[in-house]
Amino acid sequence: MICCKECLDLLYDYSEGTLPKETSASLEEHFSDCPPCISFLKTYKATTVVSRKSIKANEIPEAVQERLRDFVQNLKKL
Amino acid sequence: MASEDKEREEQLVREFQAGNLEVFEDIAAIFQRQIYSLAFNLTRNQMDAEDVTQDVLLTLYRKIDTFQGKSAFSSWVYRITLNASYMKLRSRKKDKLVSIEETFPAFNNSGYHQEIIKDWSESADTLTFSNETRENIGKAVDQLPEKEKVVFILRDVDGLSTEKVGEILDLSVPAVKSRLHRARLFLRKKLSNYFEEYHSKETQKK
Repeated sequence: MICCKECLDLLYDYSEGTLPKETSASLEEHFSDCPPCISFLKTYKATTVVSRKSIKANEIPEAVQERLRDFVQNLKKL
Repeated sequence: MASEDKEREEQLVREFQAGNLEVFEDIAAIFQRQIYSLAFNLTRNQMDAEDVTQDVLLTLYRKIDTFQGKSAFSSWVYRITLNASYMKLRSRKKDKLVSIEETFPAFNNSGYHQEIIKDWSESADTLTFSNETRENIGKAVDQLPEKEKVVFILRDVDGLSTEKVGEILDLSVPAVKSRLHRARLFLRKKLSNYFEEYHSKETQKK
């Protein structure tokens, strides 16, 4: 059976769903017997989700939008 | 991105290259959000993000002739934004050397987890909406080394494909994946520390 360390190397492709079936199966076999790896997988996936929610969508503030509009207008006069 | 959008962008760029200066306003309107958002994620500072956005718009205006259409126009804009953001960062601070490997999990000789791995994934979902948590995550991302940070922002935050990120950064797909994996491990550890601390504070209150 594969160990936790080997699981770590496969985690990226596993979470993207790009692992070959057999490798995927042996990973899941390890998971079924290893709570730490399950926690690790869940928190690994959650890291992406939580980060995306927290830092996505930096809308341009209204005042900045106005200044950028002026800036673009002035470019044409150069 | 829808292919009609892409076609419209290319059309605008061709018109601008042909000397129709009026269309630059449309080009700016289409891309300034992408530019500002990336610049903000890299600098974590509104004023810097605004400066970078102006720099990039100016570069687009002046250097449009050097765009040869070998890659997508948006990739070109991303690259210019990255360069401008890095210039800004370099003028601001010396990067502290972070050892990303230190945040990777430790294994014993048989290759099994050495530390206790707590599962905070369920509670994370409800905590994400607090400002304190968002700020902490922003700080953790800011601590990532540049190479890993940019890949994480483009791919996991902005949701670009691995191939597109590779095109922007001139990296192979395996290289993008490897950097992304390292970034995720680093952030997972930082978030674990944060959520565990948060949880113990909450338990003490009760």
